[in-house]
Amino acid sequence: MNDIIIKNITRIVIPFAQAYGIFIILNGHISPGGGFAGGAIIGTSLILYTLVFGREKGKKKFSHKMSEIAESGGIMIFVLIGVIGIIMAGSFLANQSAGFPQGELGNILSGGFIPILMIAIGIKVASTMISLFNILIDEEKV
Amino acid sequence: MIIEQLPIINLLLFLFMALIIPLLKRKPFKITLILGFIVLILVFISSGYLLWYVNNVEIISYTFGGHETRFGIEFLVNPFSALFTTVISGLALIIYVYSSGDKTEGIEKKEFGRYYVLLFILLLSMFGILYTNDLFNTYVFIEILSITTCAIISIKKKKDTYTSAFRYVMMNEIGSLSYLFGVALIYMATGFTNITLVSESIQTAFSAYPFNIIIALGFMIIGLGIKAAIFPFHIWLPDAHSSAPSTSSAILSAIVIKVYLLVMVKVLYSVFGLDILVEMNIPIILLILSATAMILGSVFAIAQKDVKRMLGYSSVAQVGYILLGISLLSLAGLEAAFFHIISHGLMKTALFLSVGEIIFYKKTRKVNDFDGMGFIMPVAMGVFSIAALGMIGLPLTSGFISKLNLGIAVLENNYVIFLVVLILSSLLNVIYYLPIIILAFLRNEKYHYRMTTIEHTPKTMITPLIFLAILIVALGLFPNVIMPVIESAAKTLIP
Amino acid sequence: MKEIIDIIVENINYIGAIALFLIGLRIVVIHTNLIKRIMGLNIMGTGVFLFFVAIGNVTGGVVPIVDPESANVIYINPLPSVFILTGIVVVVSITVYSLSLVIRIYENYNTIDQKELSDLISEENNDH
Repeated sequence: MNDIIIKNITRIVIPFAQAYGIFIILNGHISPGGGFAGGAIIGTSLILYTLVFGREKGKKKFSHKMSEIAESGGIMIFVLIGVIGIIMAGSFLANQSAGFPQGELGNILSGGFIPILMIAIGIKVASTMISLFNILIDEEKV
Repeated sequence: MIIEQLPIINLLLFLFMALIIPLLKRKPFKITLILGFIVLILVFISSGYLLWYVNNVEIISYTFGGHETRFGIEFLVNPFSALFTTVISGLALIIYVYSSGDKTEGIEKKEFGRYYVLLFILLLSMFGILYTNDLFNTYVFIEILSITTCAIISIKKKKDTYTSAFRYVMMNEIGSLSYLFGVALIYMATGFTNITLVSESIQTAFSAYPFNIIIALGFMIIGLGIKAAIFPFHIWLPDAHSSAPSTSSAILSAIVIKVYLLVMVKVLYSVFGLDILVEMNIPIILLILSATAMILGSVFAIAQKDVKRMLGYSSVAQVGYILLGISLLSLAGLEAAFFHIISHGLMKTALFLSVGEIIFYKKTRKVNDFDGMGFIMPVAMGVFSIAALGMIGLPLTSGFISKLNLGIAVLENNYVIFLVVLILSSLLNVIYYLPIIILAFLRNEKYHYRMTTIEHTPKTMITPLIFLAILIVALGLFPNVIMPVIESAAKTLIP
Repeated sequence: MKEIIDIIVENINYIGAIALFLIGLRIVVIHTNLIKRIMGLNIMGTGVFLFFVAIGNVTGGVVPIVDPESANVIYINPLPSVFILTGIVVVVSITVYSLSLVIRIYENYNTIDQKELSDLISEENNDH
């Protein structure tokens, strides 16, 4: 796609879309939204970039290796937090009893580990979205 | 303290292994294989220990995050789930050792890593299905299981695998969504998804909202029936199981469909309870379905010229045997079904793996090409013969014991007609298994000179096969070794 | 007559959910176009999700996010919503997987019609 209007508008829109996605991820535990929704928004913005600027440039911005690391890393953070629960409170994904600070109701920093989980899920979902899209458009590999 | 954590540690070990394999891509593949072997051994030991623990000390209930069971997810390790996780991890260990030997069976070299990732996620989801005590959580694990199963079927880059995988996806997804609809209806009527809590309140819910429960029962039986390849819904099975690589055919046929049957056992016995089932005449329907499966599965198998398709249809018939035991709704029937799940798991694994070895070296899948194969590949054909005789139900094999138990259970309930069906189906088994054995070993002498050609198979492929054959015979000679655990597993479902 | 209409209006969510489920099922089973069958699967899934949401609804309830300022409000049941969020993720992944399968099938057979596909496959089998 070599349309200058589309390219410029995409350049303007993508930062806002990604900022909105991050906003939704960070507010996941105190308002509607969360890791999945925000991650999907970020992933969509990356897909938009690949659609407009082509696969090669998209690869440069978010390579296959990076998405692999992000995908594994997202789960790793989740599992790690769960294991902390096992060690501290004897139960996988224990929150309050494992000593995570609870914070004040309604603040961003509240709810124990839930914001961290949301970020992990956001990373995982965003990278999964983009890698699924890449798998669908790449011809040579499944 | 640490014992309580063992179920979740099992799952985390599988997840860890699945995550670590892509990172080891640059290293030699041997490291991945050895690491996977260690993980499987550890899981086997820990589930075996759990089996001992729940049978001798107490049942383990594990809640995630310390939430109440009303809101949180509960893992329940009772004799039932502990027994079958042990069986699954043992079978998976055998198949894993074999699969490290037959590297090239249709999978491209760069796909090995991905194949093992899928294998470990498959095991994770099966363990999850058995451990969890939550209907919705079961759905999530079922979906993981069906996606990974489809991916394992389509990992061989051949034309026909894509179409059979697509058919499998469609059928399975209808099954999953039906199951989910059933869960929704149960949640609507009772307000819980935890199996223990649901079973406590389902009688009152049944008198208040009978239609909900009836429709939920129908949806769940049909959904799980599609996934377990119970007779009228079996059409996807032969294609899918015959086009997959041999090791994954073994996993699919010996383990995966059994897991769906076990979910069905859980749903029927623990969720709905015997009273509702008897009131709705479910046993009769299931008995008729199982009888048709036993006869027609064998009849279809006779017509097949491809060995793996034949084994696939034979699985349809064997699912019928297990369903017969389940739907008798008696302790003896359930024990017979459980025993048959284990013995059929061993026999089908042995059959698929030995056939896989023959396909690997001789590149043939036609039944007619097995002429004189017993002299060319004595070990593979020997194991195949033992397992096939077990399928027929000859004494000294585990197949005989399971058929004996089934027969006794059927007679206890005075269903003489199903005993006739059982014997008829065994005779049909003879028609399609015996010719292969005769073809391979007892044909004319001109093949004898080939006796000198020794199999050049790696030890990693031969050892599991011999081990399986020994297990089949040992289980046939000393069934009482595992009978106590099966009995206590059945007793957790029928109080 | 009025009673029947009342029953329908009261249970419109459930009726809609079951209608969606059945429409989807029909598409999956009857249509020969593979992509349409995947769409049918999605419609089926939507039916089940709608059913779940309808169970969780409480008349007059609000979004279940605890607000420190306003007490004593009725919240809708959040659990079914959480269930369907998981369900949506699952259906998305199934859709992507089956679409990628359709791409492979199209590359190999140049058709995405079930009838033509089975004709091609049976021809191939006869050749051997």
